[in-house]
Amino acid sequence: MSHAAVAGHGDHHGHDAHHGPDPRVLLSRENIYLPEGAGKGVSTILLGVGAVCIALTVAGAVVHGPKHALASYLVGVMAVMAMSLGAMFFVMSQHLINAGWSVTIRRQAENIMSLLPFAVALLIPYLIAQLLLPDDMKLIQWMRSDMKGDYLLQKKAPYLNEPFFVIRSLLYIGVWLYLCQRLWSHSVTQDRTGDRTETVKARRMCTWGMFAFALSVAFASFDWLMSLDFRFFSTMWPVYIFAGCAFSSVALMAIVIAVLRTMGRLTGVVTQEHSHDLGKLMFSFSVFWAYIAFSQYFLIWYSNIPEETAYYLHRREGGWEVLSALLCFGHFVVPFLILMLRKVKQSSLALAGVGLWMLLMHVLDVFWIVRPMVYASAPADTSASGVAVWLDIVAISGIVAIYAGLLIRKVASGVLIPLNDPRQDEALAHKNYV
Amino acid sequence: MTTLHPDEANARRLAGLKAGALIGNPDTGDGTLIDDPAVRAPLVLGGMSFNDVTETVCGYAERGPGKWWLPATLMAASVASLIGLMVGYLIITGVGVWGLTNQVDWAWDITNFVFWIGIGHAGTLISAILCLLKQKWRTAVNRSAEAMTIFAVICAGIFPGIHVGRVWMAWMLFPIPNYNYIWPNFRSPLLWDVFAVSTYATVSALFWYMGMIPDLATLRDRADRRLREAKAGGPAALKGDGIRAFAYGLLSIGWRFSGRHWHRYEAAYLILAGISTPLVLSVHSIVSFDFATSILPGWHTTIFPPYFVAGAIFGGFAMVLFLLIPARELFPGMKNLLTLRHLENMAKILLLTGSMVGFAYAMEFFIAWYGANDYEKEVFINRATGPYWWAYWTMISCNVISPQLFWFRRFRQSPLVIFIVSVFVTIGMWFERFVIIVSSLHRAFLPGEWHMFHPTLVDILTFVGSCGLFLTLFLLFTRFLPMFAIAELKAVMPESSPHHHGDSHGKGAH
Repeated sequence: MSHAAVAGHGDHHGHDAHHGPDPRVLLSRENIYLPEGAGKGVSTILLGVGAVCIALTVAGAVVHGPKHALASYLVGVMAVMAMSLGAMFFVMSQHLINAGWSVTIRRQAENIMSLLPFAVALLIPYLIAQLLLPDDMKLIQWMRSDMKGDYLLQKKAPYLNEPFFVIRSLLYIGVWLYLCQRLWSHSVTQDRTGDRTETVKARRMCTWGMFAFALSVAFASFDWLMSLDFRFFSTMWPVYIFAGCAFSSVALMAIVIAVLRTMGRLTGVVTQEHSHDLGKLMFSFSVFWAYIAFSQYFLIWYSNIPEETAYYLHRREGGWEVLSALLCFGHFVVPFLILMLRKVKQSSLALAGVGLWMLLMHVLDVFWIVRPMVYASAPADTSASGVAVWLDIVAISGIVAIYAGLLIRKVASGVLIPLNDPRQDEALAHKNYV
Repeated sequence: MTTLHPDEANARRLAGLKAGALIGNPDTGDGTLIDDPAVRAPLVLGGMSFNDVTETVCGYAERGPGKWWLPATLMAASVASLIGLMVGYLIITGVGVWGLTNQVDWAWDITNFVFWIGIGHAGTLISAILCLLKQKWRTAVNRSAEAMTIFAVICAGIFPGIHVGRVWMAWMLFPIPNYNYIWPNFRSPLLWDVFAVSTYATVSALFWYMGMIPDLATLRDRADRRLREAKAGGPAALKGDGIRAFAYGLLSIGWRFSGRHWHRYEAAYLILAGISTPLVLSVHSIVSFDFATSILPGWHTTIFPPYFVAGAIFGGFAMVLFLLIPARELFPGMKNLLTLRHLENMAKILLLTGSMVGFAYAMEFFIAWYGANDYEKEVFINRATGPYWWAYWTMISCNVISPQLFWFRRFRQSPLVIFIVSVFVTIGMWFERFVIIVSSLHRAFLPGEWHMFHPTLVDILTFVGSCGLFLTLFLLFTRFLPMFAIAELKAVMPESSPHHHGDSHGKGAH
C-alpha cells in the first residue's frame, strides 16, 4: 500500500544527518552491548531456584511416582523447546524472505534459538527414563510391555517401537542442532568479518533447512506428544504444535526486547516501529493458533469418531474442562482483544506484559496436552487433574527458571544486534507509517 | 539493461561496494535479478516517469491492448457461450445429463466449484495479506489478481447453484420464510459455504472496486480533458471519449484526488485488507469442512482446512502467472511494470505452497496408515493404485514434483518455464479436487456399491465453458478497466521517496 510502501526505502535514509539520527551514535558500544556483568545476579538466582525446583521434582518423583514427575518435567521441556524452535523458525523465515525491518531484533531470536541444545539436554534424560523405567512408571503407554498385545498398537508397531523411536529422536535432535549451529555461526561470523555473503549463505541454507525443520518438527510432535496416547491421531497435530512454537517465541522476544530497552539499550535501534510489527506477529500467531486449534477440535467433534474423540473427551472432564475453557479465552481471546490496540503494540513494555501472559498460556497448552495422560489409564479417577499440583508447579518452574537464567547469560554475553548486516540501514529506518 | 537504475546505484554506494562486488549479476535478465541482500531490486523499469506510468496503464483502457484483443475475446466469448448452452440443457433436462451415479453423486460440479473458488484466493492473498506484510512487489499484480478473484468466484458460484437439481429452488439456500416452512440446515457446512462465499464475493468486489476508484477518476479526467481540448480546437478526442467520461465519471463517484480523499482511501484500504485476510482463510476452510466433517474415509482428516487454503493459494498463483506471463508479452510496455523479479517471487511462492500441499498429502498418507483404520488406509492405497491411479499421479506430479524445478534459479527466472509449470499446476489442482471427491466416493463399504464415474460431454463442456467465461471476463477487464493500481505503482518508485534527490522527477503525475 502506498503510504507504507514508501517507508522501506532504507537506502535513502539514515546516512544523511538531516534526515535521521547518526548511525554512529545508534551503534555506539553503550547502546548495543549490556554493561559488563549485567544480569549475572538475576541469572544466578534463577539458576539456583531452578536447581532447587529440579531437586524437589526428584523428591516428588519418589512421593507421587516417577510417572507424574516425568509428565510435569516433559511439560517444562516441551514448553521451552517450543520457544527455541519457534525462534529458529523466525530466524529462518526472515532470512528466506530477505526481511529488512527485523534485522535489529534478529539477534534476540538467535539467542533464544541457541538455547536449543539446553532443551535437548533436558529431553534426553526423560527419553532414557522412558526406555528404562519399569512398566507402571512409564508415561508413554505404548512402551509398556503389557500394552504390546493391544490390537491398535500391533498395527502401529512398525512405527511405534523403541529402536525406531530412538533413531527418529536422534535424527530430529541432530537436524535441529545442526541448523541452529549453522544459523548462529553465519550470524556471528558476519559480526566479525562484515562479509555480506554470510547473509546469502544463511538464506541458501534456510531453503532446505525449512523443509528439514517442517518434517522434523512434524514427526517429533507425533513421537513425543501425540503418541503419548497411541490410539489418538490427527493430521493437524504438527501444525498445532508448530503454532505453539511460533506463538511462544515471539512472546519471549517481546519480553527480552522490553527488558533491554528498559535497561537503556537499543535506543533508536529497536524502536516502537519494531515493537509494533512484533506485536502484529504476536497477534497473528495467536489467531493462527486459534484457527488450527478450532479446526482440529471442530472436525473431531463433528465427525464423532471414537478413536479421535477420546482425546477431547478426556479433557472435558475431571477438572480439565476448566483448563480447556481457559485456553480458549487466555490463549486466543485475551491476546486477540488486547493486541488489537495499536498503543499496546507500539509500547515494548505493554507488549512484554502481553508476552508474559502468552507464555503462561503456552505452558498451560503443553500442560493440557501432556498432563491428562498421567492418570489416563484410570478414567474413573475424576479428580486426576488435581493430584499433586505442587509437583507440576515445581517441575515446570524449575525448567523455565533455568531456561530464563541461561537466556539472560546468553543475551548479556554478546552484542545485542547483528553487526554488519547488509540490511541494517533498512531496519534502522523502519517505519510503519510515513 | 546495462545502465544502473538510480535505486541500485544508490544502494551500491551506501553498501560501500564497487560495481563488481555485487552478489549476482545485475546485467542478467532485465536487471532485477540481483541476489544481493543490500539491494532492493527496482520495481519499475525503463526509467519510467510518473507520467509514463499513467500513459502506459491508461493506454490499455483507452487505445486497447493490441490488435489481438478482439479476436481473442470473440473466441473466448464463444467458448463461454457453451456454459450457457450446457446449463440451459441441464435445467431443461435434469442432472441426469451429468455422469453422476448412485455412488458418485458429486463429481465435476463440486470439483469445478472448489477449483474456481481456490483460484480466487491468490487475488485476495496478493491484495490483502501481502499488503499487510508490506510486500511492495505486489503492486505490479494486485489489480489483475483481484479482478481474477472476482471472475473466479463468478465461475465458482455457478456450480453449487446448478448442482442442486431443481435450480428454481436454489433460493431456498437462503433462510427466507416460505410457504413450505422449509429452512436450510444451519448445521451443514454446505450452508455455511453459501454465506462464506457470498461474503467473500462481496468483500472482494468492494476491495477491488474501491482500489480502482482513483484510477477510474484518472481515466475520467483524461477523457474529459481530451473532449474539452477538442472543443477548443485542439487535437481530436478518441473515439468513445464521451461514453468514457460519463461511465468512468459515474464509477469514480466524485473522486477529486484531494488529500482528504486519499487519507480516507488509505484507511479504508487497510481496513478492507484486514477484513479480507481472515475471510480468505475462512472461505476455503469452510469449503474443506464440506468434506472433512463427514465420516467418509478419504474426506475426514483434520489437516483439511489449512491444507485447502495452501492449495487454493497455490492454484491461484498459478492462474495469475498463467494469465500475466502472456499478457506481459502482448501488452506494450508491461515488461517495465511486471519484471522478471516479480515472476521469480511468484515462482518461489509456487514452490513453497506446492511443497506445503505435498506436506499435507504426506501427512494424510502417514496418518491413514498410523490411524490403523482399515477403510481409511484402503482409500489411500486405492487412490494411488486403484482405477483412478492416473488422476492421483497426475496430481502428485503436477502439484508436488513440477514446482520443484524452481529450486534452480535458471528455471524460476525463465518466464517460459514458469508458464509451463503454472499450466501443470492448474491442471494438478483441478485433479486434486477430482481425486479427493471422486476417488473417495467411488468405493463404498460394500463392493456392490462400487461404481466408476464417467464424465459426459455435458460435464466436460460445462467446465470448458466456465474457462471461457473466466477468460472473457478477464479480457474485458484488460480492455476497459485500469489493469494496474497507478498510484501504488508510483509509490514504489524511487521518485516518490521524500528523500529522493535524483533528477528523474516525473513531468507531472497526471
